[in-house]
Amino acid sequence: MATPGSSVLDRFLSSIGDLVRQRDGAQLQDFLQIEPPLSDIYQQMVVELRQRYPAESPQKDAELLRRCESLIPRSKGSSSWIAFPTFMKLYLTFLRDVNVENLLETYNLLKGLLNQCVLALGDSQNGVIVLPTVLYLCKVLAKLAMGLDRRPDLIAHLLRLEGRSDQDESVEKVTLVEKSANVVREAFIKCLTDRSGTPGVQGKPEGRRVGIYLMANLCLKLLFQCGKLRNAEQMFASISAQSPPLTYFPASQRVTYLHYLGRYLFSNSLFYPAQIALQAAYDQCHRQALQQKRVILTYLIPCNIIMGRFPSRQLLQRPEAQGLAEKFVPICQLIARGDYIAFREHLAFDSPANEWFARKGILLALRNRCEIIVWRSLARKVFIHGGFLGDPAAQRSPPPYLYLKKLETAVKWLQSRHVQSSLGAIGFISPSRALDAKAGENAAGSQIIYKVPDPDFADSHDPDTSGTDRIVSSKYDDYLAPGACFDALGQLQENPAHTLADGDPNADYSQHELDPYADRNTLDPEDEAQGKPTPMMWEIESILASLLTQGLLRGYLTHGNPRFAIPGARARGAIPTGFPNVWQTIYARESEDDNVPGWVKPPKPAAAPIGAGGGGRVVNLSGARPVGIQ
Amino acid sequence: MSNTTQDKPEPSQQPQQQNPPVLEEDDEFEDFPVEDWDQEEAEKNSGVANDNVHLWEESWDDDDAAEDFSKQLQEELKKVEASS
Repeated sequence: MATPGSSVLDRFLSSIGDLVRQRDGAQLQDFLQIEPPLSDIYQQMVVELRQRYPAESPQKDAELLRRCESLIPRSKGSSSWIAFPTFMKLYLTFLRDVNVENLLETYNLLKGLLNQCVLALGDSQNGVIVLPTVLYLCKVLAKLAMGLDRRPDLIAHLLRLEGRSDQDESVEKVTLVEKSANVVREAFIKCLTDRSGTPGVQGKPEGRRVGIYLMANLCLKLLFQCGKLRNAEQMFASISAQSPPLTYFPASQRVTYLHYLGRYLFSNSLFYPAQIALQAAYDQCHRQALQQKRVILTYLIPCNIIMGRFPSRQLLQRPEAQGLAEKFVPICQLIARGDYIAFREHLAFDSPANEWFARKGILLALRNRCEIIVWRSLARKVFIHGGFLGDPAAQRSPPPYLYLKKLETAVKWLQSRHVQSSLGAIGFISPSRALDAKAGENAAGSQIIYKVPDPDFADSHDPDTSGTDRIVSSKYDDYLAPGACFDALGQLQENPAHTLADGDPNADYSQHELDPYADRNTLDPEDEAQGKPTPMMWEIESILASLLTQGLLRGYLTHGNPRFAIPGARARGAIPTGFPNVWQTIYARESEDDNVPGWVKPPKPAAAPIGAGGGGRVVNLSGARPVGIQ
Repeated sequence: MSNTTQDKPEPSQQPQQQNPPVLEEDDEFEDFPVEDWDQEEAEKNSGVANDNVHLWEESWDDDDAAEDFSKQLQEELKKVEASS
């Protein structure tokens, strides 16, 4: 052991040697500080390093490495832990050389240091000693990468110097955050693949395995930050295959992990397992951890809304839900009201509400998944006010039904309401651009929602309205005289004046015409008078058919004289029979499989658990195999 | 280990920053200030009355016929029926 009179570096290295011998990973990490501002004693050590082992001296570097090699115990028979001295040498040269003015260089040096530490972690005997250090370095690297991600201006000039500007778009850009995630994933794999003790689902978190969820959580944080969620898939699969049960890990790791897992499942449209994971994260979260509970709720609430379960007043009044009510309550109200136009406009790309949902990554899920529930509400209301609810007194009466014509009336009424309101707010509708409301006037495509007409297919292509003096004026002028086209060499040539670029304007192109609406029903009043279904009716039938397929309506549709009929309604009544509860319907279907991919649970004991839960328990035989089959 | 402790440059245990009670928009899931806690400190405390707090509303169908939207819809359906 060094004497107090020796240099700081000597004392430091001697202490490191002691800590390695004692296998004290936590203390070791505490010694290996890298984040500025470093205390005076570290500054002093840096001065000594620069004097005794100056940079750009390979000879001195080798000398330093030899000193570091003396730190690890030399044991007979077992291979020595060479990755550690290399790491220690790298740590010291990092302190000596790092220039935090150049954040890009700092990042690269730090990444190199962490890489070497991860190699040291891989040692089956001693790797676990550097586990806290790996975690610490991962966190510092993640912090730096995410900081630079938010302030790209800090390193833009450096990237330009390296010639890594944005010019080359053929290569997918790998951001610093993603690079960091890749290093952290290496550390995660080292933790997961520790073969000591009992590995796998039967195992306990021991050895390097204690780091599985620490690393996974950090990696997930980075992957969420850089929007590369797909890269997480392999990680969840590896955890499912190799990790000890999550329940053996500390609460903070469990909650953080279940939160990321839930968000991952949510963004993959696996709402039911996502709901289980997020609800578990919320339930297990520390009561006072408001920030974390709030983030969890931000995803747990939309997840439930999508499955037809709204947040209760009690939930929204909790401190962690502060501000969430004003985001989610309007959506719930619009779903229950059944005004599909107001719902679509609330979450439209130009709506004021959309920005928050988009930033949280829940906009598209809400927009795409909830609209069908809005239609259920509308159909239900139209049925209540305009359907035949059945005659309970009659012995033999037809089943309750709804003429879909009434739903069409309701849609047209909604559209006219919104067109009126676009001229000024009235009643329950706020002013809007009323794009969907005008869909009833569409010459082609949907009569219910607005879609930008494709000029290649829309008949309403009128060259005169463009305001330019075009030489060619026909319905084919987007081909004959386009605004820009590729020449024989594949170069894009602008043609702002719309001069003739190809073809003969007088030729007959009608045989080459593409028409996606080949069987289009023209909006002919005569057709309607003859009882032929209107294009809008076709869409309404499709929407109801979709609701039936999803179990959100119960009954059948008739196509001639379109009706929705609800048989078997005598016992429970027409409305509960024909319009079953959304959540209960989805829950009944989804809860057949309560397995959450990525969430490892302890293996079920072979014998029936004693004193568990009570009540009738269903034995899950999904994993059982027929006798005699391997 | 006595001189190790003495040599140790500085304790790195940084005080955990306490979050102000006001919640601001933060997308990032913060690290927990504590590593582990008991079930009693968790949000859902198994076996406590708190468990049964009603978090989710399964029945939200809007059956208030007096509400503006329903009333106007009803009138419209009647109007069209009468005219046809």
